[in-house]
Amino acid sequence: MSIRRKVSIAIGLAQSVIGALATVFAYLLYHDFLGIRALLSVTSKDVVLYMLTLIVFGLLSIISGLFLVSEQ
Amino acid sequence: MLGIGGAIQAGVFVMLSYASDLAGTAIIVALLVCGIINFLTMCSYAELGSAIPKAGGEYTFAKAAYGGFVSFLTGWFEWISNMFFAALSSVGFAYIISYIIPVNVPLTAILTIIVFAFINIRGVEEVGKSQVLMVGTLLAILIAFILNGLIIPGAGTLQLSSPGGPLGVIQATAYIFVVYLGVEAIAVAQAEIKNPGKTIPRAILLSAIVLFVIYPLTAYVMLRIVPPEAISGQYSSLIYVAQLSMGDFGKVALVIAGVIAAMSSVNTSIMAQSRVAYALSRDGYFPKVLLNLHKKFSTPYVAVVVGSIFTAVLAATGVINFVGYATDFGFIIGFALVNLSLMKLRRDKPLLDRPFKTPFYPFTPIAGIVTSLFLLIFIDVGVLSLGIVLSILAVVAYYIRMVGYVRIRVAFGGISIGLGIFTVMLTYLIASGAMPLNDVSPTTFTAIFFILLFTSIILMIAGLLNATAKSSEF
Repeated sequence: MSIRRKVSIAIGLAQSVIGALATVFAYLLYHDFLGIRALLSVTSKDVVLYMLTLIVFGLLSIISGLFLVSEQ
Repeated sequence: MLGIGGAIQAGVFVMLSYASDLAGTAIIVALLVCGIINFLTMCSYAELGSAIPKAGGEYTFAKAAYGGFVSFLTGWFEWISNMFFAALSSVGFAYIISYIIPVNVPLTAILTIIVFAFINIRGVEEVGKSQVLMVGTLLAILIAFILNGLIIPGAGTLQLSSPGGPLGVIQATAYIFVVYLGVEAIAVAQAEIKNPGKTIPRAILLSAIVLFVIYPLTAYVMLRIVPPEAISGQYSSLIYVAQLSMGDFGKVALVIAGVIAAMSSVNTSIMAQSRVAYALSRDGYFPKVLLNLHKKFSTPYVAVVVGSIFTAVLAATGVINFVGYATDFGFIIGFALVNLSLMKLRRDKPLLDRPFKTPFYPFTPIAGIVTSLFLLIFIDVGVLSLGIVLSILAVVAYYIRMVGYVRIRVAFGGISIGLGIFTVMLTYLIASGAMPLNDVSPTTFTAIFFILLFTSIILMIAGLLNATAKSSEF
């Protein structure tokens, strides 16, 4: 396996994981688990914007990461 | 058994209370209308399923009839609808079991999906052996509930009335239509069924008739025992009424029946979505990795896992009404396309071997199209909006296949680089104080800084790797 392939898999996995965590974080923010809104000083008014941003970012990252992982 | 097991599902246990809010005692009429609409389309499924015995069901039918975008659209909506259906069933399972054990509904729903994803990786034959026993038990309990309800005196009313008038009945019909879904899953798994030419039509139509009898009777018995107002707001109106009429024994029995129903439909829909994804991948619309078969069980395990992840995300919402309407939307579109496929094939391929032929053609498929599309008008507005978004995504997904793998990958490379640059700028602004994080502790501030820094580095490297991708097999 070439170096580029190994790097692609590693970076792809990292990016996909980051994307997945961003999506999960959006869910946690929505339900305010563990008082996360207070921890990050996120007001109720801003939650929707943060969620939308995180979900879009998460999905794009996951897809981009999967491209790298599935590289031939 | 696959059809009945997949069709008697959690929906009938957890959706009747809201439906009776809409239609009152006329929910019985709504269920009868749903049954008729469903039967019209099941005739098309029976004919096409016996004539085209390949995995993929609706997608395969549309591909044989139309090909191209129409077939992709059919497969797309069937794939998404089955995931919504699995989510609905798993959430229903959690609500049902909460009558015995207090549970966290979203978490229980997610765990249910994980378990049945594993079961589906083992294959249909493994499921079939246990499903016969489970469905038999389920039917026995429901029949006992119905017979008991017909005998005992009740405080309900047999007078048909709807708080929302005829509009309420139609709205309830559009909402409750999902309880009849699941029978068509037989057509999706047909490649794994012996003698499909005879078995498929018999199974589909028999299942549809069984549901047409059982559901309205169940609602009739329920409303005979209690008035509609009494079940409003109940997680499961059937279990509530069973406890009133049969005591704790009735409650436990209906919980068991509900658990079996929910588990069967989760299992059937996870299987169905994986087979549709497999068929779409076979034709190049989805990544080829979904074609991978398990070495030991020969099942499309990657398709099962990917679909189950999406299903788990949907189930995590824990909202029955939204998921129910969303399931309705997708299947109604799919049903219309199946009926259209039947008519196209009758015209273009009149000599195709058809072990079963739809009776009263062309009235049956035309009536199936018109009546099911009519219900779309009365689906929740939020779900209709989601449906439009999903349709747009379908167009984009189809276009991606036309454009080609490398171009799309380069585009995502550019997106990653852009996101990386944005994240770097965000990191700089936060670190320099230009974008202050008010009331955040120093530890949290440091964590945010390093997370953003790490993320920006990963994004930019990933972007460069994707943007410099060479032509390769998708």
